[in-house]
Amino acid sequence: MSHFSTVQTELRDRQALVEALTDLGHPPAEGELTVRGYRGQSVVADLAIRQDSGADIGFRWNAETGCYELVADLDLWRQPVPVERFLARLNQRYALRAILAASTEEGFQVMEQRQHVDGTIELVVSRWDG
Amino acid sequence: MAQRTIRFQIRPDGRVEELVEGVSGAGCEPLTERIEHRLGTVQQRRSTSEAFAALPLEAPQGQPLSQHSPA
Repeated sequence: MSHFSTVQTELRDRQALVEALTDLGHPPAEGELTVRGYRGQSVVADLAIRQDSGADIGFRWNAETGCYELVADLDLWRQPVPVERFLARLNQRYALRAILAASTEEGFQVMEQRQHVDGTIELVVSRWDG
Repeated sequence: MAQRTIRFQIRPDGRVEELVEGVSGAGCEPLTERIEHRLGTVQQRRSTSEAFAALPLEAPQGQPLSQHSPA
């Protein structure tokens, strides 16, 4: 049955997350990494964006939720946008990357991709079924 | 041959609305399941025929928005 559905994005797929961060100008380091925060305190993360300020941005896999979550010392947040906005942008870019990858795997072609004035990305994929 | 088209609206906050067009039967599930597996929890799902049929009946079927206000 044809359907219409709404999905709230969660960061579940590592490849799509790495691509999304790279798209946004923050190519992450991968591996078991130390994320630095206030006065040299640190936590271990799976992805890290090094910051000159010494306060890194990391992403850590949470096995309970099955999602990556941001780890950073928010008192030292020095990005041009607040952390909520940073995450919203990341979620949007992640969703685009995840959908593009899944569509290609299932044999769909991108027919259209454009950005609307309200910031929404519209993506149309199509496939002929015999 | 039938063309299957899926239209996505990816909102600035990361919410994704997905509209599957031109599909009959159970064939639309593999891609959307694969996508939803990577993306997250489906908050709402309805068939497109229901969605379109609901349009002209908007007024009488509308849910009162004040429903959740404290009594």
